[in-house]
Amino acid sequence: MANYDISVAHLYGNLMNTYGDYGNIIALTYYAKQIGVTVDYHLVSLNDHFDPETYNFVLFGGGQDYEETIVAHDLKTKAEQIKTYIENDGPLLAVCGGFQLLGHYMIMADGTKVDGIRVMDHYTTNMHDDKITILNGKRLTGNIVIKNNDTGETYHGFENHQGRTFLGKSERALGTVISGNGNNGLDKTEGVIYRNVYGSYFHGPIFTRNGNLAKRVLATALSKKYPNVNWSEKLSQIDTETF
Amino acid sequence: MTLKSSLARATAKSSYWVLRHILHRGGTSLPGKLAVAIDPDILKTIQQDFDLIIVTGTNGKTLTTALITRVLQAGGYEVITNPYGSNMIQGITGTLVTTKVKSSPNGKKPLAVLEVDEANVEKITNAIHPKMFVLTNIFRDQLDRYGEIYTTYDKIIAGIKNAPDALVLANGDSPIFTRGDFTNTRRYFGFNHINPTDFKPAVAPINTDGILSPTDHSVLHYDFITYANLGKYFSTTDQFARPELKYQVTSVDQLTPKYSQFSIDNTPLRIEIGGLYNIYNALTAFSVGREFGVTPAQIKKAFESNAQIFGRQEAINVDGKDVTIVLIKNPVGANSVIDMMLTETDEFSLLALLNANYADGIDTSWIWDAEFEKLHHTNIKAVATGGERYQDLRVRLKMAGFAEQAVYEDLTKIVAAIKALPTKKVYIAATYTAMLQLREQLKAAGYIKGGF
Repeated sequence: MANYDISVAHLYGNLMNTYGDYGNIIALTYYAKQIGVTVDYHLVSLNDHFDPETYNFVLFGGGQDYEETIVAHDLKTKAEQIKTYIENDGPLLAVCGGFQLLGHYMIMADGTKVDGIRVMDHYTTNMHDDKITILNGKRLTGNIVIKNNDTGETYHGFENHQGRTFLGKSERALGTVISGNGNNGLDKTEGVIYRNVYGSYFHGPIFTRNGNLAKRVLATALSKKYPNVNWSEKLSQIDTETF
Repeated sequence: MTLKSSLARATAKSSYWVLRHILHRGGTSLPGKLAVAIDPDILKTIQQDFDLIIVTGTNGKTLTTALITRVLQAGGYEVITNPYGSNMIQGITGTLVTTKVKSSPNGKKPLAVLEVDEANVEKITNAIHPKMFVLTNIFRDQLDRYGEIYTTYDKIIAGIKNAPDALVLANGDSPIFTRGDFTNTRRYFGFNHINPTDFKPAVAPINTDGILSPTDHSVLHYDFITYANLGKYFSTTDQFARPELKYQVTSVDQLTPKYSQFSIDNTPLRIEIGGLYNIYNALTAFSVGREFGVTPAQIKKAFESNAQIFGRQEAINVDGKDVTIVLIKNPVGANSVIDMMLTETDEFSLLALLNANYADGIDTSWIWDAEFEKLHHTNIKAVATGGERYQDLRVRLKMAGFAEQAVYEDLTKIVAAIKALPTKKVYIAATYTAMLQLREQLKAAGYIKGGF
């Protein structure tokens, strides 16, 4: 078997690490291994340089408010490079706080406004906002099922967030909410798709419970690096974990 | 004592007596409620009878409180405590008003040693000024309920500020306890069991919480880590480092799943329970004992003569299988259990059970932060999974490289599951309600008596 490898950047993986989001990399590595692909893990954290040419996949997870504030500050120094990566169609999964910080801004539970890096067009307010007419003041917690309108796939997960995210014009939802609350509890959207960026509030984590999405993103990453191999075909021959 | 407070105490005591002897219930919440209803200042009135020690933190409070109690008793103190984990304000009030305070054999003032829920520290210290706060650790717990570690610590700090004269005796290995703008005197305990020539300075693994320096928010480095974010930390950007320790583990001599041997301040000790985290519990009790003048020899004796209090890891014989049951509920706890299995020299099997009811924590994503991959470095021979969220756990362990698993969706088959495992030694790691269901099954099959 030929030797293939991809390089994965875990943005602030030592700080945005509260909700098991690292499991997404475990799942990606699990599927990659079965088709003979090695995944090289790189932590890119405070004061580290993010080179948009180096990585084939990026994970940006969720964290606690204090760490998120520190991350938001440092993230500004990487904003240009992350924008380049995204606009070059680099695959990226952003969960919860990571999803929020790629947008315009977020309001934390205590009302503090934290600037995002505005490489995407959504913004996040909090559960106490006056325009939150449904479940105002409450965390959105529980099982969630959504349907991806591009592919028809359904995704299962668990949501647990106080932030309420509203998508911008250039963005579409990762899926329409079938049961649960989604981005804000109001407009039936959950997560985001923009170029090859996937954002979500799913815990569980999303790639572990929805192998179809994990494989799709893996195929995108591999096809970008090794365009002469039919990766979707290879991946379709191995079992998918879905529950 | 006023007439009102006497009446409050008498009512609490009689309701406690009725609950216990007629209704056969052990709770102290109702007596506490009644006493407060009659005399809202009841706690202020009775505090002159004893000095209070508050034990708080997220993990290990119950065992630590029990150990402190035994240590102080060994030092000749009369001790009041809340042994059943009723650690909220009403249960604590109930405990205090229904307990008759005798004088200490050593002639000193009696002590109350109370395990207090983090969010209840302020409520208690609104009424009583403690002599000492004992801070064990703060780890991420069930996220759907308790929130974040700094929020939890803020609640404790609010309680500490009510009693500025109290000594704060804290785990110095946990960076969070250097935070907080209270003025109390602080003393620290921790681990110093590694020779400086063997230090391996490094950052913590990526899934570790609470690793930022309180000074400039830079990522802390460690000369060594004991577990989670505990260890000998320092900043590479300024002078911040672990504070000086007053009490320390000076050697770790033997770690096994069933007992540990180590030294504190060069006194050799042994406890009848595995897990490095339990050495922290012993260290905490040692430190409190020393603060109250209990000698190392008395503490050693207290540890050795109270083996039965280390009951949390339960050993059961199922038709010749040596079964150990451990509770798991968050990544730090699960990793501690995995670390304990790394000290197992025999072949063993793991049966892991995951439920997601309220008492378990309904967000199961933490299982992805537990390092099940490390189990490949043990003599593990078989893995089985089960519980209401068996799918999550099955996939977690499959992706950790355990492709072959027996899966038990239904815990009514769990006794057969244990018997089907290929090794004599079996570890069962279960979340809270899964453990209750498991115990029901073991009880019905006659392998254990009674409930919790």
